[in-house]
Amino acid sequence: MNNYKLSNFNFGRAFIYLILLFFALIYLAPLYVMFTTSLKDIEEIRSGNLMALPLDPTLYAWKKAWSSACTGSECQGLAPYFWNSVRIVVPAVIISTVVGAFNGYALAKWKFKGSELLFGALLFGCFIPFQVILLPMAKLLGELGLANTVTGLVLVHVIYGVAFTTLFFRNYYVGIPTELVKAAKLDGASFFSIFRHIFIPLSTPIFVVTIIWQFTQIWNDFLFGVVYSGSGTQPITVALNNLVNTSVGGKEYNVDMAAAIIAAMPTLVVYVIAGKYFVKGLTAGAVKG
Amino acid sequence: MLNFLEKNLPKIVLAPTTIVMIVCMYGFIIWTGLLSLTKSRMMPQWDFVGLDQYARLFNNPRWDVAVDNLLIFLILFIIIALILGLLLAIFLDQKIRVEGAIRTIYLYPMAISFIVTGTAWKWILNPGLGIEKLMRDWGFVGFEFRWLVEQDMAIYTIVIAAVWQSSGFVMALFLAGLRGVDDNLTKAAKIDGASTPRLYWHIILPLMRPVFFSAIVILTHIAIKSFDLVQALTGGGPGYASDLPANFMYTYSFNRSQIGVGAASAMIMLFGVLAVLIPYLYSELREKK
Amino acid sequence: MGSISLNGIKKSFGEIEVLKDINLDIKDGEFLILIGPSGCGKSTLMNLIAGLEDLTGGEIVIDGSDVSEESPKDRDIAMVFQSYALYPTMNVARNICFGLEMSKMPKEEQEVILKKVSSLLQIDHLLDRKPGQLSGGQRQRVAMGRALARSPKVFLFDEPLSNLDAKLRVEMRTEIKKLHKRIGTTIVYVTHDQIEAMTLADRIAVLKDGELQQVGTPYEIYNDPVSHFVADFMGSPGMNFIECVVKDENLIIESGGQKYEFSIPCKEAINNSKLDVVMLGIRPEMLTEIQPSIEKNTYIHKVKFDVDVLEPMGADTVAIGQWNGNEVMARLSPESGNIAGKGFDLQVDTSKAILFDPNSGLRIR
Repeated sequence: MNNYKLSNFNFGRAFIYLILLFFALIYLAPLYVMFTTSLKDIEEIRSGNLMALPLDPTLYAWKKAWSSACTGSECQGLAPYFWNSVRIVVPAVIISTVVGAFNGYALAKWKFKGSELLFGALLFGCFIPFQVILLPMAKLLGELGLANTVTGLVLVHVIYGVAFTTLFFRNYYVGIPTELVKAAKLDGASFFSIFRHIFIPLSTPIFVVTIIWQFTQIWNDFLFGVVYSGSGTQPITVALNNLVNTSVGGKEYNVDMAAAIIAAMPTLVVYVIAGKYFVKGLTAGAVKG
Repeated sequence: MLNFLEKNLPKIVLAPTTIVMIVCMYGFIIWTGLLSLTKSRMMPQWDFVGLDQYARLFNNPRWDVAVDNLLIFLILFIIIALILGLLLAIFLDQKIRVEGAIRTIYLYPMAISFIVTGTAWKWILNPGLGIEKLMRDWGFVGFEFRWLVEQDMAIYTIVIAAVWQSSGFVMALFLAGLRGVDDNLTKAAKIDGASTPRLYWHIILPLMRPVFFSAIVILTHIAIKSFDLVQALTGGGPGYASDLPANFMYTYSFNRSQIGVGAASAMIMLFGVLAVLIPYLYSELREKK
Repeated sequence: MGSISLNGIKKSFGEIEVLKDINLDIKDGEFLILIGPSGCGKSTLMNLIAGLEDLTGGEIVIDGSDVSEESPKDRDIAMVFQSYALYPTMNVARNICFGLEMSKMPKEEQEVILKKVSSLLQIDHLLDRKPGQLSGGQRQRVAMGRALARSPKVFLFDEPLSNLDAKLRVEMRTEIKKLHKRIGTTIVYVTHDQIEAMTLADRIAVLKDGELQQVGTPYEIYNDPVSHFVADFMGSPGMNFIECVVKDENLIIESGGQKYEFSIPCKEAINNSKLDVVMLGIRPEMLTEIQPSIEKNTYIHKVKFDVDVLEPMGADTVAIGQWNGNEVMARLSPESGNIAGKGFDLQVDTSKAILFDPNSGLRIR
């Protein structure tokens, strides 16, 4: 909390509120536009403008976006790809989080020769542009028979997600006093007992942060999705992009917008409900560097 | 035997991740690097041709455009996001009553996919029906905004969308930093007679140096990886006027069957990231010592 | 039962030698205190005894068996930490019984022990609370309870009272002493507080830079230190050290503007050392106001003393002045302290005075 205030109380503070509100509107504007456009019909879109409210709101665009819009050669809407994303995200988040928890625990509390180096090497992996692994990973997936499969995508997300999840857990566990581990060792607890009885009960906050982070990253991913999926196994981000860029018979902007909102919905909902933890995740990972 | 297992349990737990990391990060980087030295086209062909592919890359006008775009994008994106983020953080730090709500609004764009962002802004900046029409409907007859389809201006639309998406994050970083400033410091300054603007300029901002650097590193990282946003917003167009290196790499590797060139471009991207990352890490480590 | 032998203990962290060559035998049931300045290695030694760190050299024998390679849980040792290290998500009862739980003791037996321990430490009304809901003193007791529950061969205490306020510290000190009397298990206790050391210990081991300086009873350490370092460490206010010229087996002292010759008991020492200048060690309580009665005594001297600073401590007043240009402290009664100033009449009892070599700091005998 800061104790300083602007010298000219009323004018200064009014100005600040004004600016903040102004930017709040700017940040919200695209969301507003997306919603209103998705509820209009095509005629209204062509004749009206971005900011106008829908005269006669209709769910036509939503229904089409979900079940019959064309995403390339298929015209099944986003529904099947929504479920693809679910099938990718759920296992990938669970596996990468659990592995990250064990890794973070081992690195934070059971240091050995080279453990810091290992951590550094892992950390580095969070920063590489994924373009450098795209080609060899494609080859690997091909050889494992996982090209264009959901399993393949889950594998990729787990592999490259573990670097982040390990970082989160390790930084969190470093903050737990090591004397707890010493006391537990004297009490006769083993590596896994200590984890189970002492660390896991303390880990709810970091589990939440990590799961939300991973869920958001993986659901919103496009790069891995577009490179490693086939026409039936695409995640929703890829399908959305296809939908928007397919203009069979004239562009239906309302359908595009409805589709975009559908794609964004899960992570937005998660953010609204648990945004506090999401922010913690962002800044925890970043500020520590 | 059991004793050996127990003693080495931490290492055993970390082993799978370590192996995967060695193969899928460092191993793959080497693979891509080697590939960039071959004359591979559609499939990997291990005929080494030295730095030929790099020569082809640098002589490719499309690559030049991509690199130029990256520089423009980087500089504008970082500067605008930093200034905006800092300003909003400072304002938000002034004991605002609805701080929580405003923070939520500033940050929600980070929760959605770049594809969704690109789709939304593509519509907002639509030449005939987007902002241009809005402004005209509001009375600014003759207002033109066709950046999306103009060769020289397309890249700036990417800047706009990226700033919209990421400045909230920068704000969060700075807000956390501002909150970390010792109260006693500001009290002492006030007693010494510092007015609020001077307080910020001379005392608080210099304390924000580490946050500046963290933010720059992360924003650079986001910029260099920017692939999704371009695909959705402009598709790299018109033509390839708004291409970025990440898009170039994808196009050449997966659409044009030129994986040798693609690998070379990926390696250049990696070097770019390292060029920023390594000095930063080095200075961080030096400070710690 | 709980005897400990430390033979040739060495510990290095990389290049840094933290413990150089520690040899110490601790008797069963003894209360041994490890004391020394920060960084002397006392906590490291504790960790080695507990098995929380590996030895670089030497061996540890507990109750006759070599446990140097054993893991902590197989050494039958319990430890109370400075920060208590209570498991934050478990209630007091589970904290205390956790070690028993890990050794798969049946629930009923655990209950019996829990009852015994919690009533002994008077924490039976706290069993359902979590550590976060306890006061510092209560947490301390729970930590001790956790250690007691396992009926180990040895108790290790790592500065357990440092986090308590002064009053509580005195209370708990007495409790620990009573506890030791009751259960009689060997205790190895680390502290940097020499008052704790003097009041609790059967024997004190003074450590400096990874080496044992002296091991002895509190009386021995206080009255018969082997070096300047040990003498300086124990006692508050500390021992006075004055450099004196030797003259005919006496020491020359300049005080209050006058010269005096002090005779001291260790005449042989002066002769043996063949030194012209020695360091005199004499405790402040040997410098007082003039006491009535006492028979004539060659070791009682009366000198003039210029008092520079007075520090009233309640029960007595410390008067600070100079001898031979060295700062010297005397302990006066509060009444004398009130009037003490320049030219104060000071009585000096040199019967317990000791001598040190001014260069090596070692005791001259």
